[in-house]
Amino acid sequence: MIRYLARRLLSLALTLLVASVIIFLIIEVVPGDTASLMLGVNADEETRLALREELGLDVSKPVRYVNWVSGMLTGDFGISYTYRTPVSEMIADRMMVSFPLALYALALSTLIAFPAGIIAATKRGSFSDVSIMGVTQLGVAIPNFWFAMILVTIFAIKLRWFSAGGFPGWEAGFFAGLKSLTLPAIALALPQASILARVMRSSLLDTLGEDFIRTARAKGLSARQALWGHALRNALIPVLTIIGLQFSFLLAGAIIIENIFFLPGLGRMIFQAITQRDLIVVESVVMLLVFAVVAVTFLVDIAYAVVDPRLRRRV
Amino acid sequence: MRRRRNLVIGALLCLLFIAAAVVSFVWTPFDVVALDIANKLKKPGGAHWFGTDHFGRDILSMIMVGARTSIAVALVAVGIGMVLGVPLGLFAAAKRGTLIDELIMRGNDLIFAFPALLIAILITAVLGPSAINAIIAIGIFNIPVFARLTRAAALSLWERDYILSARVAGKSKLRISAEHILPNLLNLLIVQGTIQFSLGVLAEAGLSYVGLGAQPPTPSWGRMLAESQTMFSFAPHLAIFPGLAIVFTVLGLNLFGDGLRDYFDPRLRHNRHDESPEAIVKDQQSVNDEQGVS
Amino acid sequence: MSLLTVQDLRVSIGGKSILTDIDLSVEAGKVLGIVGESGSGKSMTAYSIMRLLPDGSEQNGKVILDGTELTSLSEEQMCQVRGRRIGMVFQEPMTALNPLHTIGDQIAETVKIHTNTSRSEARRITLDTLRRVELPPEEFPPSRYPHELSGGQRQRVVIAMAIALRPQLLIADEPTTALDVTTQAQLLHLLKRLVDDDQMGLVLISHDLAVIASTADDIAVMRNGVVVESGSTDVVFNHMQHPYTRELMKASGHVPQKLASTAEVTSPLLVVKDLVRDYKVARKGVFDKVSFFRAVDEVSFTIYRGENVGLVGESGCGKSTLTRAILGLEDIQSGSVSLDGEFVIANEVMSLSSRRKMQVVFQDPYGSFNPRHTVGRLVAEPLHALAIQPDRRARERAVHEVLARVGLQASDGEKYIHEFSGGQRQRIAIARALINRPSLIILDEAVSALDVSIRAQILDLLVELAASDDIAYLFISHDLSVVRSFTDRVLVMKDGRIVEEGETETVFRSPSHPYTKSLIAAAPTPPKVAH
Repeated sequence: MIRYLARRLLSLALTLLVASVIIFLIIEVVPGDTASLMLGVNADEETRLALREELGLDVSKPVRYVNWVSGMLTGDFGISYTYRTPVSEMIADRMMVSFPLALYALALSTLIAFPAGIIAATKRGSFSDVSIMGVTQLGVAIPNFWFAMILVTIFAIKLRWFSAGGFPGWEAGFFAGLKSLTLPAIALALPQASILARVMRSSLLDTLGEDFIRTARAKGLSARQALWGHALRNALIPVLTIIGLQFSFLLAGAIIIENIFFLPGLGRMIFQAITQRDLIVVESVVMLLVFAVVAVTFLVDIAYAVVDPRLRRRV
Repeated sequence: MRRRRNLVIGALLCLLFIAAAVVSFVWTPFDVVALDIANKLKKPGGAHWFGTDHFGRDILSMIMVGARTSIAVALVAVGIGMVLGVPLGLFAAAKRGTLIDELIMRGNDLIFAFPALLIAILITAVLGPSAINAIIAIGIFNIPVFARLTRAAALSLWERDYILSARVAGKSKLRISAEHILPNLLNLLIVQGTIQFSLGVLAEAGLSYVGLGAQPPTPSWGRMLAESQTMFSFAPHLAIFPGLAIVFTVLGLNLFGDGLRDYFDPRLRHNRHDESPEAIVKDQQSVNDEQGVS
Repeated sequence: MSLLTVQDLRVSIGGKSILTDIDLSVEAGKVLGIVGESGSGKSMTAYSIMRLLPDGSEQNGKVILDGTELTSLSEEQMCQVRGRRIGMVFQEPMTALNPLHTIGDQIAETVKIHTNTSRSEARRITLDTLRRVELPPEEFPPSRYPHELSGGQRQRVVIAMAIALRPQLLIADEPTTALDVTTQAQLLHLLKRLVDDDQMGLVLISHDLAVIASTADDIAVMRNGVVVESGSTDVVFNHMQHPYTRELMKASGHVPQKLASTAEVTSPLLVVKDLVRDYKVARKGVFDKVSFFRAVDEVSFTIYRGENVGLVGESGCGKSTLTRAILGLEDIQSGSVSLDGEFVIANEVMSLSSRRKMQVVFQDPYGSFNPRHTVGRLVAEPLHALAIQPDRRARERAVHEVLARVGLQASDGEKYIHEFSGGQRQRIAIARALINRPSLIILDEAVSALDVSIRAQILDLLVELAASDDIAYLFISHDLSVVRSFTDRVLVMKDGRIVEEGETETVFRSPSHPYTKSLIAAAPTPPKVAH
């Protein structure tokens, strides 16, 4: 198992390395001198050079790449071109919104999807199965940002249960913070939950058709016991894959949803940075998000090994 | 006959939007570019079936023209994914276990680490926003989807005896890939294609919603939603109709994809199982099972 | 009073009748063998006794186990019966166990759901049961997972689960079909011993008459959902009443009539010399040396023109690798394969003229054909190896000719493969092998998946073709009785080596290598047809 994880870890590191090169190259393609852009046309040469030095732009590109990567490894993401503050501080602030939001949405979608998928699979063809499948079919088709607009109109504007957007900060209390993330999390979770419920259902149905379920029934287990004791854990393996893949959709979705709810997260930050051409911020946030996706893939790999004994011994 | 129903409903919905897009080239109820401030924010009904927006433009006409953008972007993106992804997958499967296989697969992993939105953000940072961005971003994201699917399915086909027969006949791996592997993957690819198509429509809407997709004056469903956001409380029809257009298009494509999968399935199964009663019963059960999206 | 009585059992699925008026009885301490070809309803009978039929099926009639009428029990009561009073064993040991649970947990589960025993007591019973199925816990601790066991060992675990609580009745549905002959013999022996030890009744279901004949006290012959003949094994085999039973019996012991071949059996056709094939084994650590697994170990043999050579060996002995190496589909490390004097080289560089002379027929009639091509196109595929590609009309003519030779119609060429039965598909596979007029056809378990009656027809066809076309066969099979009746000479393979080689009859009569002896001893002998 350690060997399996070590291999995965190695390929993870390699992916990140290549990703960082790609991101760096793409951003480097951008024409124009950042310092002159920031200072405007009337700046004198001396100021421009000083700024270049301050931003670390006065060295060759390979050196800059190495500085960028080694900086990130030590937690130094450089200095924002626009705000002249360390990017790492900005990111840290924003992460405290984006990360809990993604987790909240993931938890919600799992909590909804698992029971729904299990009920649909065990009562195949019943009214509850048909309605769950109908709702999820619709849930997959609804764009989350549109769903978010509807949620805001109903629950914030009409019913006034929630605020329409903004984030009071965790200083305002855990529940106040959680409350302001609730509508965004629901909007994010709906399509994810729908997909997950469908995958759960079909994976469970597949597993229920396996030979070892028949063996379990022949032992005297009731259909219910066979489901809980034998089918569920086996059915979880493909579901884990989907959860891992979904995380990247969740991140992308969060970037959009944060804009609707005026949440000060990474998503808002990256759009502001694009409009302000604050490329160092764009570069670093994209790298961070890629890291998050890759890290989640790694977590899913660990989860596989925990669930499936066959992987623990695989070389 | 539930699977037939999925197929028919899905096909009808898809046809409806394709027809809307095609018709919009020659005729729309109103001009989508001309402003008509006198008729702004009209409720649905009368001459404007779906109402008008804050510039007095006809919502129905905009939705019809917007269908063009959605369908074109998603279709081209799926096309890019297929044209690049499928051969890569076939090639990797044929060269299984070699360095080139490993390189292709790691490359796929790499792209998978970049959600379509991130790719779009990077491109926009460099080139500025446009519909082309959306196509490239969604298209790139589709490559590993098709490459992985193709490779996995092709690998299982390579184990089949008929592939060995073809090799015994002296056919090259390339030729076998084209002659035996690809045709047997077509069903799978078509089904996945419709699913990716629907995801593409959603992604395009999302990108134009945040301003990374089609730029004005090209109408697009996502941007219609973005523009309507501040007026949602007093003019909900501005957001409801484009939103429904997205929902029904995606729903139609998904139903169509599911229906196609069920339609293809029993025939393929027929070749694999013998016709013992157990097999028949098992077949019927699995045919009835709907499967989750991707 | 029988242990199990089945009366007027009728089953239909979705309105389609599957079983009609089945009457069976099983005595305690006795073995009832149910024999029949695929689709005869023998497995369905087992499921009806267990009341584990698929949804949508309807079951009528009586199933009485030691005074309990099972059909009148509620599902809850039936769960009490399953695993406690009736145990069941299935065909596929590879998939019958939950891959995520240890074997100990899976055996203990039977105990836990039926009794209120303590954890330590359940563990004691588990260890005891492992011993009873001859998996000593010292060697096979209960903490093992199924994937760490071989097929035969897994099947023992399945049996352990079924007999942990010493049920009155055990149902075994093709328990040894997926296993090698020596493993099969051991398992049948184990089942017999358990029946004797516990005075348990056993219902043994098999398609293999030889297995049933050597194990069962009573037998029932099934066909199309009906029991056509039943009684004690001796009586049924010696005084067969039903024509189907006779037909079945004749087919399973069928010896194809050998025809004198016109070819000279002295000129060598295929010469395999010191063939070695190594596979790289995945390294355990980054700094370990690369290690190899030798699948084929210095194998040498010759097949002469028109000769019919058998290759027997159990799974994993290297016979598939050897086949692929001969066909030029595997890289080899050393040694050589030559066909008609020309060397066979792996992959696409091999000359097409060599390709033309060598063809293959595979086991699985369902996986051997591309489902999207017409039969005509499938059969014509080997023509690719011809130096001059025939035109469309010549192709068509060739296809029609070979189809006719294997007993099919010219019009079958336009059909697709799913329109044919298993036996017809093997005919098509043979047609495909014939179209280039090859000198050698490798029959890789080519009749193993067929029912006995179909198998007999195919064997006759092969013999006929060999005589008329001077074809040599390399007949690979795990079924010793077929090898014995079909081949002139036989090679016995074990762990990548040929351990014995000789005239088929001589080898079977007086095997010299201990492995050959154990193989022949393990093979169940088909019953002699009484006239």
